[in-house]
Amino acid sequence: MAPCVPFLGTGADAIDVRSPPRRADDGADHAVTVSGVLTRIEACIPALRRYAAALLRNRDDADDLVHDCLVRALDKLHTRRDDADVRAWLFAIMHNLFISQLRRAKARPAGEPLDETHEAAMSIRADQESGLQWRDLIRGLNALPVEQRSVILLVSVEDLSYADAAHVLGIPIGTVMSRLARGRERLRQLTEEDEVRPVLRRVK
Amino acid sequence: MSDPALPIAEEELHAWIDGQLDPAREPVVLRYLQEQPDVARRVAAWREQRAALRAAFASVAAEPVPPRLGLEQLIQQRLGRRRLPWRAAAAVLLAFGLGGVGGWFLHGGQPTQAGTMTLLAQQAVANHVVYTADRRRPTELGALQRDDLARWVSNRLNHQVAPPDLSADGYSYMGGRLAATPDGPAGLFMYDDPQGVRLTVFVLPLSEAATMPIQHVDFAHVDGCAWIDKSVGYTVVGKLPPPELRRIAELVRKQLG
Repeated sequence: MAPCVPFLGTGADAIDVRSPPRRADDGADHAVTVSGVLTRIEACIPALRRYAAALLRNRDDADDLVHDCLVRALDKLHTRRDDADVRAWLFAIMHNLFISQLRRAKARPAGEPLDETHEAAMSIRADQESGLQWRDLIRGLNALPVEQRSVILLVSVEDLSYADAAHVLGIPIGTVMSRLARGRERLRQLTEEDEVRPVLRRVK
Repeated sequence: MSDPALPIAEEELHAWIDGQLDPAREPVVLRYLQEQPDVARRVAAWREQRAALRAAFASVAAEPVPPRLGLEQLIQQRLGRRRLPWRAAAAVLLAFGLGGVGGWFLHGGQPTQAGTMTLLAQQAVANHVVYTADRRRPTELGALQRDDLARWVSNRLNHQVAPPDLSADGYSYMGGRLAATPDGPAGLFMYDDPQGVRLTVFVLPLSEAATMPIQHVDFAHVDGCAWIDKSVGYTVVGKLPPPELRRIAELVRKQLG
């Protein structure tokens, strides 16, 4: 039960007598710390859904991933000592789940149609004028290797610092920056190629 | 890092786009972009790409979170399982509501003594949630050891108290225990009805001399009634309709007062 110690509040050092918030008992003592982390987790759910939706094409799959991530986070909550960096912690959990999911998927024969529409982006397309450009962008994004795609999304869309993105992906900062540079440039080429190669588009 | 004379690395152009560039390098980057229209064009494309991606997925984050991803629901589901080291804390949190311990209030409390009442109710609810959730050992001494418990609690509280009899209201006595609070020991008596709904009576001697009438305590997931009688705080807590709780509180007050 060693990992429980931070929240148990039974050790003498866990009780701060100088600034006592009125506590009901040990249970409520956990509650103070746990509730801080939980409040932050709750605030991150919309961003986790956005990242998952951008990473996966299917919205249900994306929400499944977020669900697994939240469940894992709740199970690992007792390993947290404070409520700092909860966002990077959650994205890291989700990224790891996503990677192991990819590995399992690779072990199976690929049955996914390449041209499957990206549902998350589709919902936008309807109310945007430049539908075709959106589609090119999303197609380009999906054509990138997953390593580049995740860096681009974490930095561009989720506003993670390079350091946080490095933590989430478990790679050095330098690698984050070089993947970002290569990914963005590749995506630029892909979208601009599409503009000069209308053949690739569906004929209206 | 910030030597302005160093040549521009492509990574720095991206850091500039992402607002993560060392400020000392910014003028150098800007000058470089002015001198290199080709590079500037690419940088502009990357910036557009960044903005387009943000816009493309913005609506997802603006959507309401579907119920199955609601944190309270997930915690509730996890509570049913064994491996949740912070079960007790989770149960307390659910009782108070995830919005925080501040998300509840007393009805009709007098401002001067509301602090004591609030504290009393908070402790009663926390103990209620922790111990009633315990399926195997909710009480320290069971119904058969009623007199032992009365002696034990009375000694520790330095106040004569015995578990009230609520059988007239359909609640049978299960047992009780000594509970811990920042104001010292408290007595906790537990009851259940034929459906297994549990309620607790909480008795806490207070340092301040005070008397407060019965007040309804509104938590997110449980209700309670709290009052103070001759410097002893009492609380009845349970998932019961407020009028029923109130009736039980009156009954308890009559017996313990």
